[in-house]
Amino acid sequence: MRLSVSNLSFSFGDSKVLRDISFDVANGEFLGLMGPNGSGKTTLLRCLTRYLPDGAHAILVDMKPLHTFTDREVARTFAVVPQSSSTDFPFTVKDIVMMGRIPHVHSRLATSRKGDAEAVSDAMSASGCAHLEDRPFSELSGGERQRVIIARALAQEPKVLLLDEPTVYLDISGQLEMMDLITKLNKEKSLTVVAVLHDINLAARYCDRIALLNQGRLEAIGPPENVLNSETILGVYGVDVAVRRDPFTHNVFVMPRSTCAPARKDGVRVHILCGGGSGGPAMRSLVENGFSISVGVLNVLDSDHECATDLRVRIVAEVPFAQISDDMHAENLRCIDETPLVVVTPFPVGPGNFKNLEAAMYALNAGKKVFIMAGGSTSGIDFVGGKADAYLSNLIASGAVKVDSVDHMLQLLAHEGAVKR
Amino acid sequence: MFIGLLVVLLLVSAFLAILVGTLGPIGPGDPERISFSDALDAILGLKSDHPAYYSSVFWDVRIPRVLLAGLVGASLACAGTAMQAIFRNSMADPFIIGVSSGAAVGAASAGLIGLTVVVGAFTAPMLAFACALVTVFVVYKMGTVRGKVYVDTLLLSGVAIAAFLGAVVSFLIYFAREDYHQLIPWLLGSLAVAKWSYVWILVVPVALGSFLISLYGRELNALLLGEETAHNLGADPEFLKKVMLATAALVTAGAVAFTGIIGFVGLIVPHMMRILVGADHRVLVPAATLFGASFLIWADALSRTLIPAQELPVGIITALCGGPFFLYLLRKNRTGGMMS
Ligand SMILES: Nc1ncnc2c1ncn2[C@@H]1O[C@H](COP(=O)(O)OP(=O)(O)O)[C@@H](O)[C@H]1O
Ligand SMILES: [Mg+2]
Repeated sequence: MRLSVSNLSFSFGDSKVLRDISFDVANGEFLGLMGPNGSGKTTLLRCLTRYLPDGAHAILVDMKPLHTFTDREVARTFAVVPQSSSTDFPFTVKDIVMMGRIPHVHSRLATSRKGDAEAVSDAMSASGCAHLEDRPFSELSGGERQRVIIARALAQEPKVLLLDEPTVYLDISGQLEMMDLITKLNKEKSLTVVAVLHDINLAARYCDRIALLNQGRLEAIGPPENVLNSETILGVYGVDVAVRRDPFTHNVFVMPRSTCAPARKDGVRVHILCGGGSGGPAMRSLVENGFSISVGVLNVLDSDHECATDLRVRIVAEVPFAQISDDMHAENLRCIDETPLVVVTPFPVGPGNFKNLEAAMYALNAGKKVFIMAGGSTSGIDFVGGKADAYLSNLIASGAVKVDSVDHMLQLLAHEGAVKR
Repeated sequence: MFIGLLVVLLLVSAFLAILVGTLGPIGPGDPERISFSDALDAILGLKSDHPAYYSSVFWDVRIPRVLLAGLVGASLACAGTAMQAIFRNSMADPFIIGVSSGAAVGAASAGLIGLTVVVGAFTAPMLAFACALVTVFVVYKMGTVRGKVYVDTLLLSGVAIAAFLGAVVSFLIYFAREDYHQLIPWLLGSLAVAKWSYVWILVVPVALGSFLISLYGRELNALLLGEETAHNLGADPEFLKKVMLATAALVTAGAVAFTGIIGFVGLIVPHMMRILVGADHRVLVPAATLFGASFLIWADALSRTLIPAQELPVGIITALCGGPFFLYLLRKNRTGGMMS
């Protein structure tokens, strides 16, 4: 099976909904269809099923134009799983799945052929709803219903399974189960899948390729790691996201950037000594409250380094997994020279980054205000045999202020007259 | 299997109903009670010592009446099942697209222009039939945009036009004055007019119509999950809606033209059968058709016997049984829905 769409345009009256869309889907592929609401995803699926018949000439299935198909042929080519299905009529699960046999019925007079019953029970086992067979469809949960609808789609014995946001109304476990089921059918039965998915991360995890629609145009198509980058997503969805890789699967995933306020250049300067993921909340709160921050010294790949990158603030960075070099230490001290305020977050202290504590002492000696944030029982995690805790106590004895939380620190800063906003 | 039971039930009901009546072994028995064996002899035409008119009571009156009741009940129930599927609404009935109100205008104007609604005149049924079809066509046109049938609009047009035609009927009745009482049995629905010619006229269309509807059982199932789903399953919803509406309208108009507006059969029989056989229209349509026939045969037998030496219009019986039963179903389904 090869599905090919070439220069498909579609309008509702005067409003153009699909513009010049071209793409191919290979046999056995899992293609994700994404895009903001109203970008034309559902319309594209409806063109494929010919529910909207005007686009059919632009669609080829195995080199055969779709408008030459009969309705039943179309239903043997594409099976659709909508967002949700419901009916007030007392259909059993088996009744619903049996509907999938309509495109295969040869004679109206034959009520139910043996082949139908087999196809129906196979479809129900494949989608894991055989045990629901005699239950009333309307009494099932959302996840169970979607399984039944997938069984109905399988009973159609289609070449392509089309899904329109099949997981929107499901909870997180339902979503994952549904996606696993679809992937299983895609792999084991080598069923071609075209799925509209609203969750970028789910799509990145399961799809072979992603087609991104924007205002009826095909903005990008390709493997998730190529399509899902922060520029494209900002362009299409208008949201600023950070793109990362899942450490276990190496699938890309995105998350909204951790700030809504842009970094200011004119706020009161604060330098943050952090690392090991301890600095994120302080960075974010300070930026949101209008401070202008710099951070140091951070190893590249440290999650604090990623946070700081997302916030686009000044970073004194060291190469991954290296000790803080003298150069970077000096750079760190230069940052401190420029700021009236220094914050020490409860970072794990080892021989490699002990210089960050020394930088705090440098700040105290230079007459800067130094805040030390508490982290649990001790100030941080000491990997240098108590030396770090001793050093912190020493800092507090020399005039550094211990604070319990970011909010506590913000209160004290407000008292100090450090301007908010 | 269940269908087989319904066939047996229908045959038994029809046979018993033939024996029910003022003149018969079952019933009030006034003024004359006939023994079982005499009745059987009369029906089977065996030589016996019973008076000769016994045979004509059964063959000229009772049997065509029971057959007509069966045909009308079958067509109303079958058409009602189809309408409920087309409108995806279990409150729909065969009259929803204006059949009854159109037919009423036809029957009433026959009364007004002096074409009396007396037994035997074909003018009134034909006028009722024609007006019913014209009304359905107007409603259909109102609910159709560029060849696509919008069932919501269709439903509302049906309601609006029924209200309008109701006023027209009242107007006609007002002017018909003394002829009005002749119209009452028709407006309430009655099988007293039954005769063999009606049976012969109705039997083929009703049989063909209900057969046609039952052939589309799978597609009607699909339609109940929405028109897009029906399309995706290869069941052309526009074609299906048109064929079903036309068939249901024809059989309903045919039935109504002769016997008048017999309410509730087309509404509650599909409901009762759905409770018993489920919603699969491959079974539901034949079940409702068969049971609708039995149901109206019983209702008619009841209308002949409930008040001695008098006859109630059968529409009163169906409404009297149907209304409360329907409310009961509504309540039951409501609470059932909440528990699930
Ligand atoms: N039946 C319709 N008539 C007119 N406009 C429609 C219709 N269906 C969808 N649209 C419009 O087409 C655009 C694309 O809709 P849709 O394909 O549903 O988007 P998506 O599924 O990506 O959210 C939207 O602007 C929507 O308003
Ligand atoms: Mg959509």
